[in-house]
Amino acid sequence: MRALHVTAGRLCAWALSAFALVACRGKHGHDTPPTPPPKHAEQVQIEPRSDMLPAYPCSGCHADRKPRPEKYVLKEFHEVRNHEFSHGEDAFWCYQCHSIKNIDKLVTSTGELVSFDEAYRLCTACHGDKLKDWRAGMHGLVVGNWNGEKRKKSCPACHDPHDPRYPSLKPEKPPAPSKGLKAF
Amino acid sequence: MKKSLPMFREPDACSCDEHGHDHDHGDHDESRRGFLKLAAGAATALAATSCGTKPDFDALLQKHYKVMTDEEKKKVFARLEERTRAITGVKVHITDPQPMDGVHFAYALNLSQCNGNRRCVEACARENNLPNDPEIRYIRVIEVDNGSQHLEKGTVHYNPEKVPQKGKFYLPVQCHQCDNAPCVRACPTKATWKEPDGIVVVDYNWCIGCRYCQAACPYHARRFNWVAPSIEPERINPNQGYLSNQIRPVGVVEKCTFCLHRTRNGRYPACYEACPTGARKFGNLADPESEVRKIVENKRVWILKEELGTEPRFFYFYG
Repeated sequence: MRALHVTAGRLCAWALSAFALVACRGKHGHDTPPTPPPKHAEQVQIEPRSDMLPAYPCSGCHADRKPRPEKYVLKEFHEVRNHEFSHGEDAFWCYQCHSIKNIDKLVTSTGELVSFDEAYRLCTACHGDKLKDWRAGMHGLVVGNWNGEKRKKSCPACHDPHDPRYPSLKPEKPPAPSKGLKAF
Repeated sequence: MKKSLPMFREPDACSCDEHGHDHDHGDHDESRRGFLKLAAGAATALAATSCGTKPDFDALLQKHYKVMTDEEKKKVFARLEERTRAITGVKVHITDPQPMDGVHFAYALNLSQCNGNRRCVEACARENNLPNDPEIRYIRVIEVDNGSQHLEKGTVHYNPEKVPQKGKFYLPVQCHQCDNAPCVRACPTKATWKEPDGIVVVDYNWCIGCRYCQAACPYHARRFNWVAPSIEPERINPNQGYLSNQIRPVGVVEKCTFCLHRTRNGRYPACYEACPTGARKFGNLADPESEVRKIVENKRVWILKEELGTEPRFFYFYG
């Protein structure tokens, strides 16, 4: 019987505090959003990349070239990238990611062929923490509209897989120095 | 020659050379001074009429934005459009997009990704019709030493060949659209207020230019128009909002409005679109699926000068 009393008492207290909370919320209108947010076409597209690659399809040149399965320093015909390979130290080489069977495709560690448009699947095999953030829109570029159609950029849009650090840029001009009221 | 836009105080801003203003050359005789004053007054009055720019009584008698009817607003916008066209020859379109129900705008900025390239600063200037001389910019990017939070020891004037510099990080600051905005409370004429979607706006017509708000803002987010802004006609953005990027008159305070003429139409702000690194995130905090909401829920976000209780809508995070 006593337990019942206690429970009823607690229930009363809870109801009272809940009421107080609601009343308080009502007073400060801005605490609660007045109506549910507008629904937007949330289907976020991932921007395809193969159209942007200057030399794609790779088979254009590679169709009549024999693949060299051993590790070597690539020097010819890839001038578009005029920098050193710096990713994963010595662990990586061409056919780690590019398919040796079909040069127009990438290959995952399980041997699955993946198109260049889905390159993020390769990247995130190692960088799983970034995958979570990128999926949620917390990492990476999202273009379009915040309320409407939006497109997500894939990893290689910013990070060249052969040299993933974001390139340094020339900054825009600094603000004009404040030298008193010269404008008068 | 750059054409300026004298809006309220035409006689002062008149650029005609033939109406040179008289000056007192050190003679302190009271009667002579009085005469000169009169003469100067007459000269300015003459200047005003002969320049074709008479004092704008419609602007003087304009009501506060919040009490204007749609009809009155339409007239005001038409008058402002005509004025810009008459002075610069540019046809602009002034709109007044309204806040959307259930939308609470917020900004999140990833400091791990920002590399201080200032693309946002310049894109903002172009979008919002900010003058170059004297220069007004809404966004300041502070370069700070890694491992410290000493913003006062940082600089906004960094100008290396390439950014990011070693051992530095970059912290862009703009209006934080505070929920408890000190600038709004400081305004004696209620010319600035917080909109239901969280954006703090200024009615440029009601601003008297006392600059109390500028002094009250702890983020140095407000700018004052010391002279009539001079913008090259080819730089004028014709897509203007009455409460945001319409060309401001001399003697009023202005600020970042999260580009409300864009964002209230579902678009991203100009600074967001200009950022090449993806450091900037913008969206509706009330939408559980939005990027900013996910960031605020999942990342360790922090705000500037939290101890002041301003409750900003602008979050910083690493990741």
